[in-house]
Amino acid sequence: MPPVCFRSGNDAVSSMSRHSQRGRGGRDEGRDCYGVAYSPQISLSTSSVKEIEVPSSALEISMMQHVGSAGNTSNSLRPRKEKKLTYVLNGADDTKHCAGINCLCLLKSLGQDEFDYLFTGSRDGTLKRWALAEDAAAWSATFESHVDWVNDAVLTGSNTLVSCSSDTTVKAWNLLSDGTCIRTFRQHSDYVTCLAAAEKNSNIVASGGLGGEVFIWDLEAALAPLSKSNHAAEDECSNNANSLESSLPSNSLRPINLSDNSSQKATQSQGYVPIAAKGHKESVYALAVNDQGTLLVSGGTEKVVRVWDPRTGIKTMKLRGHTDNIRALLLDSTGRFCLSGSSDSMIRLWDLGQQRCVHSYAVHTDSIWALASNPTFSHVYSGGRDLSLYLTDLSTRESVLICTEEHPILQLGLHDDGVWVATSDSSVHRWPAEPHNPLKVFQKGGSFLAGNLSFSRARVSLEGSTPVPVYREPSVSIPGIPGIVQHEILNNKRHVLTKDTTGSVKLWDISRGVVIENYGEVSFAQKKEELFEMVSIPSWYSVDSRLGSLSVHLETPQCFSAEMYSADLNIAGKPEDDKVNLARETLKGLLAHWLTKRKRRLGSQASPNGGIPSGKDMSTRTTCLSRVEVDGNAENDSTVHPPFEFSAASPPSVITEGSHGGPWRKKITELDGTEDEKDFPWWVLDCVLNNRLPPRENTKCSFYLHPCEGSTLQIIKQGKLSAPRILRIHKVVNYVVEKMVLDKPLDSMNVDETFSPGMPGGQILPPVGDTSLLPGLKPRQNLKPSIEILCNNQVLSPDMSLATSGAGMVMDDLKTGNGIWLRSYFVHVKFVGIVHSSGNACCDHKIIVPLRKSWKPIRCQI
Amino acid sequence: MGAAGSKLEKALGDQFPEGERYFGLENFGNTCYCNSVLQTLYFCVPFREQLLEYYSNNKSPADVDENLLTCLADLFSQISSQKRKTGVIAPKRFVQRLRKQNEIFRSYMHQDAHEFLNYLLNELVDILEKDAHTSKSNQESSSPSEKIDNGPNEMSVNGPQNELIVTWVHKNFQGILTNETRCLRCETVTARDETFLDLSLDIEQNSSITSCLKNFSSTETLNAEDKFFCDECCSLQEAQKRMKIKKPPHILVIHLKRFKFIEQMGRYKKLSYRVVFPHELRLSNTVEDADAEYSLFAVVVHVGSGPNHGHYVSLVKSHNHWLFFDDENVETIEESAVQTFFGAAQEYSSNTDHGYILFYERLVCS
Repeated sequence: MPPVCFRSGNDAVSSMSRHSQRGRGGRDEGRDCYGVAYSPQISLSTSSVKEIEVPSSALEISMMQHVGSAGNTSNSLRPRKEKKLTYVLNGADDTKHCAGINCLCLLKSLGQDEFDYLFTGSRDGTLKRWALAEDAAAWSATFESHVDWVNDAVLTGSNTLVSCSSDTTVKAWNLLSDGTCIRTFRQHSDYVTCLAAAEKNSNIVASGGLGGEVFIWDLEAALAPLSKSNHAAEDECSNNANSLESSLPSNSLRPINLSDNSSQKATQSQGYVPIAAKGHKESVYALAVNDQGTLLVSGGTEKVVRVWDPRTGIKTMKLRGHTDNIRALLLDSTGRFCLSGSSDSMIRLWDLGQQRCVHSYAVHTDSIWALASNPTFSHVYSGGRDLSLYLTDLSTRESVLICTEEHPILQLGLHDDGVWVATSDSSVHRWPAEPHNPLKVFQKGGSFLAGNLSFSRARVSLEGSTPVPVYREPSVSIPGIPGIVQHEILNNKRHVLTKDTTGSVKLWDISRGVVIENYGEVSFAQKKEELFEMVSIPSWYSVDSRLGSLSVHLETPQCFSAEMYSADLNIAGKPEDDKVNLARETLKGLLAHWLTKRKRRLGSQASPNGGIPSGKDMSTRTTCLSRVEVDGNAENDSTVHPPFEFSAASPPSVITEGSHGGPWRKKITELDGTEDEKDFPWWVLDCVLNNRLPPRENTKCSFYLHPCEGSTLQIIKQGKLSAPRILRIHKVVNYVVEKMVLDKPLDSMNVDETFSPGMPGGQILPPVGDTSLLPGLKPRQNLKPSIEILCNNQVLSPDMSLATSGAGMVMDDLKTGNGIWLRSYFVHVKFVGIVHSSGNACCDHKIIVPLRKSWKPIRCQI
Repeated sequence: MGAAGSKLEKALGDQFPEGERYFGLENFGNTCYCNSVLQTLYFCVPFREQLLEYYSNNKSPADVDENLLTCLADLFSQISSQKRKTGVIAPKRFVQRLRKQNEIFRSYMHQDAHEFLNYLLNELVDILEKDAHTSKSNQESSSPSEKIDNGPNEMSVNGPQNELIVTWVHKNFQGILTNETRCLRCETVTARDETFLDLSLDIEQNSSITSCLKNFSSTETLNAEDKFFCDECCSLQEAQKRMKIKKPPHILVIHLKRFKFIEQMGRYKKLSYRVVFPHELRLSNTVEDADAEYSLFAVVVHVGSGPNHGHYVSLVKSHNHWLFFDDENVETIEESAVQTFFGAAQEYSSNTDHGYILFYERLVCS
């Protein structure tokens, strides 16, 4: 069942409605009628059935809607008009990675009694620090700021961790902090794939990326206090943070992330420009620097190893030999020898002095993605796509299989007598590999001689005998959480079904950010079918799972297109047809912490430092609103309804773009209230602070009501009607009854007391605001025996929404057809029969009102 | 005309092949695009034989509606059953039918021969598939194992039903291309197969079919703003994409893209590039290990310097003789003359006769 979404209704019709009048006025007009325009109650008019509108013109405008086939198109690189807001539903455990580990690096203890540390960078966008003991590793910090995969990380200087990411940034962190990002460098224009640092001349870091970009950084200079031109900016943000710190009770807040803050504001030190190593025509996937920082080698899809002088960025030579992408590089400490690992499954040893390949080792059966050598450069550890970790003696060509992982090996880190292995799984393993005494491993037997041509030759030399791994079990394991690999937005547009790397299928409620059901290892497709609901709610967000967890993207104005009745969400204390906007409530839920902190901050300050227009009075208003007090005055309702409360235990992270800081990412609980217009999209603030939603077109749906052929009753002769798409069928029934009441003598129509027909002219007593009325129950029950509505000769449930009744038939057709459809969509309601049940004194008309759609599927050409 | 025929007969003398007919086709006003393609199809012997067989099996005009297939079969049978060995025939019914059916070909404007060939083959396939469906549903009740009536080696009988009917048109012209995309991050290869009835190749000055085919299969990198969504990585990554021929067709039709849209001029321009097409062609960009070998048997030639006017003629190899078909006229030419249709090495050359569609037949592997 492909996801089906509708944009129904049309401009001409809904121009009658207040909603769109406001919307049409644009932002400025909206400001004038502050707080009234989009309150949930506004659509409650004098009669509940007044939600059905008779438009002045019956002009038909069909809405075309592209129905996507899969959710995979969500993160396209197309430029957006407005900034979007993304939130990532983090795993339940912050101490575990939830996606593959792309990189790792090790820090030997600085003092006698201190730990050694392992740093891991993951596809989940975070880096983590682990304190290492003899045979265990304990989580000690998470570095969260990247908004895409962390691709590589190196340690440099005495206390700096440098990471690079597919978000095109390079970030510097204080490595022993709680996750403090010192600086973000935005020099690259595409994914940054690899880093290299000089061991001895430890200021030199090189970064390489897609599009052939290679930069060489002098970190000391790059991290130096900002130049004069930037002082103002930095001062400003530190002021902000300081004042915040002083103004808030210390127990209510986590430590303020001062430097991270400044890193967002002062995007990069404009005074420092790295050296560009120009010459790559294609993407760079591997880098290495010698200890002194006097030699840089790079490799990538051009299949050549390029050698540079990092001090000038000048290319000194080009080494040919590999027949596929170069994915891993190593330099010995002297800078004379270079090792390269390639997707052609070969390891090559290059003598840079002679500018030639002196050895090639055919050890692996697939691409080589990771290399590490022992300190004397006599042996090399290699891992890759074939899941295998080999140790090869570079001079004797003797090779041994150390272990076989369950996932492709992405990086290796030597540590004492073991080697840490990062794979595309979220866990990390340490294997006993004796880097200081590789001979020990060979003594265990099972070694073979590496071939020297291509793999096909190597296989012959092995004569079919697969090597047996020396070790079966890793000595230390750091477990991770299985990452999400498949996802599907369900029809109700609040639940997302996911499958993770272990095959576990789970159901998420994305408006609360929690798993509501874990089905275990069942068929994803089958579960999806089981959970199919006959409802039609417009798509208001998109989802991707590239970070191993769900990222939910909200974009204006599409995200505001979905509404639901409060009653359906079990929000108590609301009038029967109170509607909530799903995106609005979700945003309120996401930013609840921020609002509280912001309110406190602004409230405690004598004069707010001129932040956001109308911000202050906003926050003071929200203070006096509690859930109990919510009544008609909902324009500033910041109450988070239970269906939109995000878990405090595993809070989601918000990703959005700052105006000049590029994208940033923070847990919602760590938002400190200082984030303002520059950091959040304006439409988000407009929604949560000012309660204004952008103009929407598609919350309405059009239909026709016609008396049937042969009907004795001549009622409702009019053109197209328009109503909210979520309007229940029983409301349509009410409308029909009302019309009959108005057109007929009163005594013949005594329908029921809740829906008592009033005077002609629409003065019908509204059941609005009557809190004693159980939502939606009484009128429906009382009317049920009177009228039935049919659609395509099927009786529609009174609970069904108008949009769903039309959508159901579309779906039937979609089930039989395949492909992508473009549709023009209309619902026609038509009377086909009125049956008198003469026995009853009250006129008990049975009215059959079929909904008929006249939409036409058009095959979309791709 | 009779004189022309006898001239050809004289030229061939007693080498005139037994049972073969060489007939010119009358031009009804700019129908040379049609005539040139019809001649090449007629001398595509397996195609002709199967069409005639189909014709003889379906010779009940009462219940068969006229369509392009019946018109074509009718025309071929007319030619092959002529008493005389040479002459001229008017493909009147066929052209009428074509014009009736497709408005593109209705006008008397100059038409593209490749477009016509493509339309014709697809139309034939559609008709045959429709036939197979109806006859299948007719026969299903009586004798399901019975062969369908349109060919001796009908595969659709034991092949998968409904969607995948392999007609004899398919068996002659259809090949399979595979589109391989390799994510540069996880290096997972996703392959997607697609069928083709002809290959359209971009051409370069002073090149050969072999190099054009190599370019056709060359690797393209999806990068920068055009990254590939890798299902394995759940994200956009760089990827390398290339086309390979998975199943070489029996009859390989190569269309040289000589008509190129020049954006600056806002119109098409004819590329008169010299592109060498060998008599024996080796396909090396195949998935299979062994190269597929082909032999040239027909060429549709575009005569003229512009895209919107000009003339189409065809060269056909029949029984080891090369023949030149120009509407009503049929002549013999030397095999060596074929190379005068490669194209011009300089841009402004007086030579305006350029090979446009090449027909190769696969040599049976030993």
